[in-house]
Amino acid sequence: MLKIAHLFPEELDLYGENGNIKALTYYLKKENIPYEIINIELNSQPNFKEYDFVYLGSGRKKNLQIIKNILKEYKLEILDYITKNKIFLVTGNAISIFDFLDLYEIEETTFKVGNVTATTSLCNGKIKAFQNTEYLIKSTNNLLFTLEQGFGNNNTMLEGYQKNNFYATTLIGPILARNKELTKYFINLLKENLN
Amino acid sequence: MKIIAIIIGKILLFIGKLLKRGSSLPGKIALKIAPNLLVKFKYPLNRIIVTGSSGKGGTSSLIAQVLREQGFKVCHNTNGSNLSSGLTTALIAQSSLTGKIKADYLVLELDERYNKEVLKYLKPNYLVLTNLTKDQPPRQHYVDIVFDELASCIPKETTIVTLMDEPLLRALETPERKIIYFTLAKNKYSNQKQIFENLNNTLCPNCQVKLEYEYYNFETLGKYKCPNCSFKYLPKDVIATDLDLEKETFNIEKETIKLGGDTLYEAYNTLAAYTLLKELNIPRLAKTINQIHSQKTLPYFQNNGKTYRYFNCKSENATTFNHALFKISETKELKDIIIGWSIISKRYPHTDVSWLYDIEFELLNNVHKIYLCGPNKEDLKTRLILAGFNEEILIVKNNLTECKPDILNSEAPYVFCLSHYDYQDIFNKTFKEEQ
Repeated sequence: MLKIAHLFPEELDLYGENGNIKALTYYLKKENIPYEIINIELNSQPNFKEYDFVYLGSGRKKNLQIIKNILKEYKLEILDYITKNKIFLVTGNAISIFDFLDLYEIEETTFKVGNVTATTSLCNGKIKAFQNTEYLIKSTNNLLFTLEQGFGNNNTMLEGYQKNNFYATTLIGPILARNKELTKYFINLLKENLN
Repeated sequence: MKIIAIIIGKILLFIGKLLKRGSSLPGKIALKIAPNLLVKFKYPLNRIIVTGSSGKGGTSSLIAQVLREQGFKVCHNTNGSNLSSGLTTALIAQSSLTGKIKADYLVLELDERYNKEVLKYLKPNYLVLTNLTKDQPPRQHYVDIVFDELASCIPKETTIVTLMDEPLLRALETPERKIIYFTLAKNKYSNQKQIFENLNNTLCPNCQVKLEYEYYNFETLGKYKCPNCSFKYLPKDVIATDLDLEKETFNIEKETIKLGGDTLYEAYNTLAAYTLLKELNIPRLAKTINQIHSQKTLPYFQNNGKTYRYFNCKSENATTFNHALFKISETKELKDIIIGWSIISKRYPHTDVSWLYDIEFELLNNVHKIYLCGPNKEDLKTRLILAGFNEEILIVKNNLTECKPDILNSEAPYVFCLSHYDYQDIFNKTFKEEQ
């Protein structure tokens, strides 16, 4: 059975981000793929060895700091999880939590708010999304989206960060709920892991 | 410049009256002529501001109505004119040419983000804070931004009137501040378990540990305590008991108060208004509120053997939609639901639909068909599919009137519409007319 960890869904729940979990489980059900959702709460301890998919969404600034302080303790486990090609999706301002992984740099900015249209090598078609973030990724390597409209990394029209199956983007929407093809990309990745 | 601005404002108000068109234009123009006009008015001694994410219109208008019934002269901005231009329009209407507001009470509904501009000039005696919830994400981002802004601009001489049931607002407490609390005691609609998934706040404002609840009235409202520190719900000042939404009443100190409606948000609005008015020592308070509320029109109508009801929710505000869904879920009979609007926001060009995922559509039960209309009909359809509704019952229509033939032929005895203000007249026109 696939194990999907939703990290801190109560503290990181701005902007309907649990719609991403709803989208993922909708397609898993449709394909009769058995799964379990594990909600990691403040007082529970994540075990990254167990999971096939980890998700974190946007949160209030003070909650981002609380969660960052917790997850810093798991730096090696998270890096090991990423090295093993397991799936980790981070959306919205939650990208700011993971600067401690030393994979990418972030910059704090005035709020960037607006519609997003983009393309990506992950799937066909146009990505429709939204941005409402006070943090952007500064690094311009390992990019995820080519923006037609929106705010990219370091004032470019390129956005996000990818390493193996670790995906970090400031795009919300919720991005999976609004983009069927992108959700299917992750479902296919999960299927490969099952095999 | 002050006198010129007021004269021009008054002329524009007069023209508006002749044309039977009310707007905040007179205030807008007057503020262009005299940008610091709000400083120049001479305000009455009794100044009340009503603010919050939702409920400020209903609460402030009840306060104004009660005061008028008691014979006081009240300066009040009408529902929705709650930005600086709307306030200024209301003030010009009741001011002398020298800027003296000719009223015993000033009762202003104020957009929560305009407190920082207005409170410093107006220095209200009372600030009624109805709630702070998720609201207009592209503009407000998240609640702390609104909270911090508000907390930093409330003058020290202002007494705050707010609800004990929301732990987030307890962070306003400081040794210097006077806060009067109201609370809605546990009632037959309270839940032992949380039924809403997307909450504004779950943590103790003092130590950031997850709060525990004995019961929930709605979303984060309820009886809470922190398992880690001494922070807890402390019912005091005004306590409403025996809430009965069918009878549209609750009790306060052995008096029965009419709510003016059968929804939980109307109960909270009435409680907020009552608490403020009690603090003002207004006599015959319960009697006056009951008299006003007994004149309210029914929120539904019947036609063609069906019951129709429109829920006027606030755009980009999941809480107001959740209130409507909480009410609709009480109706166990088969129902058709219409969801849609003509525009999300006139304020900005963004099409943010993330807030649809903060709404608990999963509360809907015994649904016959759900009609999804307007520019976001496909976004709504996706949301409802992901809420677990069968695609076959989700009907996409370009606009509300297109739903009419299907609705009239439907076997469902109830029709509920969840929308913004912009579909209300169309809904009434479409379904009230003779077939």
